[in-house]
Amino acid sequence: MPLVPVPKPTLTQKLKRFFMVDLLKGLGLTLRFNLGALTSSDSVAGKGIYTEQYPKVRPDVAPRFHGAPRLNMDPETHDTLCIACNLCALACPEDCIDVIPMDVEVVVAGKPRRKKVLDEFIFDTSRCMFCALCQEACPTYCLELTQDFELATYSRAGFVWNREMLEQGRETVKYES
Amino acid sequence: MALIALLAAPNFIDTLLLKFFSEQTVNYVIWPFIQVGAVVTITAGWVAYATYLERKISAFIQARLGPMRVGPWGLLQPIADGLKLLVKEDFIPENADRWVFFVAPYIAVVAAFVVMAVVPFGPDWAVITDVNIGVLFVLAVSSVGVLALILAGWSSNSKYALLGALRSSAQMVSYEVSMGLAIIGALMFGRTLSLSGIVGAQASDSIWFLLYQPVGFVIFLISGIAENNRAPFDLPEAESELVAGFHTEYSGFRWSLFFMAEYAAMVVVTAVATTLYLGGWYFPFVYRLTEAKGYHNAYVVVSLIVFLAKAGLLLYLYFWLRWTLPRFRYDQLMDLGWKWMLPAALINIVVSAIGVGTLQGLDGWHGMDTIRSVTSGLGLTPTGKVIAIAFGVANLFLTAGILSLINWRSRDFNLKKQRSKIRLVDLPKGKPAVAPVAVSEP
Repeated sequence: MPLVPVPKPTLTQKLKRFFMVDLLKGLGLTLRFNLGALTSSDSVAGKGIYTEQYPKVRPDVAPRFHGAPRLNMDPETHDTLCIACNLCALACPEDCIDVIPMDVEVVVAGKPRRKKVLDEFIFDTSRCMFCALCQEACPTYCLELTQDFELATYSRAGFVWNREMLEQGRETVKYES
Repeated sequence: MALIALLAAPNFIDTLLLKFFSEQTVNYVIWPFIQVGAVVTITAGWVAYATYLERKISAFIQARLGPMRVGPWGLLQPIADGLKLLVKEDFIPENADRWVFFVAPYIAVVAAFVVMAVVPFGPDWAVITDVNIGVLFVLAVSSVGVLALILAGWSSNSKYALLGALRSSAQMVSYEVSMGLAIIGALMFGRTLSLSGIVGAQASDSIWFLLYQPVGFVIFLISGIAENNRAPFDLPEAESELVAGFHTEYSGFRWSLFFMAEYAAMVVVTAVATTLYLGGWYFPFVYRLTEAKGYHNAYVVVSLIVFLAKAGLLLYLYFWLRWTLPRFRYDQLMDLGWKWMLPAALINIVVSAIGVGTLQGLDGWHGMDTIRSVTSGLGLTPTGKVIAIAFGVANLFLTAGILSLINWRSRDFNLKKQRSKIRLVDLPKGKPAVAPVAVSEP
């Protein structure tokens, strides 16, 4: 059986061991964390606190975050931008969009025509995987995935959103700090 | 306004009480009751907020926030915890010894709280009673806490509780020996067992006994932490969270009494360490600024705040150590207690005695004055103080040397001897990894 010699501790190492130098260095580290947590507020380890006090403080999400869907309105006329082209429903890999069009009578250049407009828009967020293919497909920039990530509801039926909910969005509960 | 009311209140209450009762009753019955009530309230509040501070400090050390929701900054968290524990179901194991089971938590709490009766929080009326044998009283009463542990473990009628209790009490007893011996070094300079007298000795010399007795302070603190089953010495507690422990069969209010007793014992050890080594309620210039100008109550209140600040720093040390160090294994713990702390305490006594003897011998030798007066403690001149501090520092190195010598051949079941050579074994095949090399054994 081979014997591998281990170097004997030098006097410095023994003194360090007796006077607990490594312990004191460890204590210094925790003290640094402690004082850092008290004095600074940027959340980097050793200089602050990681905790994000949800729900008082909502996390920052990216501008292109894929969140809750929304149907945008024309800012001037306050009409929906949706033209009921059904491209979003066709693009969706999960089949969670249902676009229901209707025909209305409009007068174009003096002649009565039938125009297809949006009647009802059903979006099932429980099936949605937030891939944003529908957002990419929409020609009028009507359907957009917002930065709202709080999609919980109290029932399965609450996951299915209709046109009104999609246009107005949902209210988030504000917690006072 | 509130401060002025606080400072004027004792005189006002005194005159009010003297109208109804005789002076003797007021001085020896009513005032002590008021003091006891105040100390118990303050200690209980301190204990409750020690739990809060522990959670906050541990959170900050771990870069998180701790309790924040219950009150502003989570300050009402201890109250929420207390209410939760009160409403928990209180059950007793089937074949448990009922009366002993009932009484064990109360013994623990009483043993921890009674010591507060002799701790000097401040100069005049801020100590409930200054017993002449204060140090002995403290050691004796805090030892009663070990009884509570054993009773709890025994009466739970559970093998794990019993074994946990025996382990825990063995640990506490081993460290009490070195705690008591470490105190003796400070007593040599204080020359009295009364705790107020020791603070008075430090006050009259304007020195902290920490400077004369660094080894004693370190031994006292380490032994105190081990007494309380805290910080790196909490194997009985930690294993008990995994397996069982002396308070496994306790729930709700009874468990909270054990918890309070543990934190109260922490407060006691920090208070006694402050009194013996950190100068108690003494702080330079306080006397000159308050008492000498006639503000007696202000003097006492400021001294009280000084004491609480010092004890608070030591309490922070407790939390700091807990969240920095990993746990000792039980055999390492007992090894430390008997083979390192006890010899160190004995060496401390011998070296301190040599130091005091040297000081007394050098007094008047070739015109060197070391001792001024022995009325209050070992009154030392600056020369004497320098010599005493030099002895304290030399004590550190001497203790280091002698402890290493004592433990030379006997550390960790001779792992040292094993450690000097390591054998390589090829584990899967059970054969040596390389061909044997002829190396001479030591």
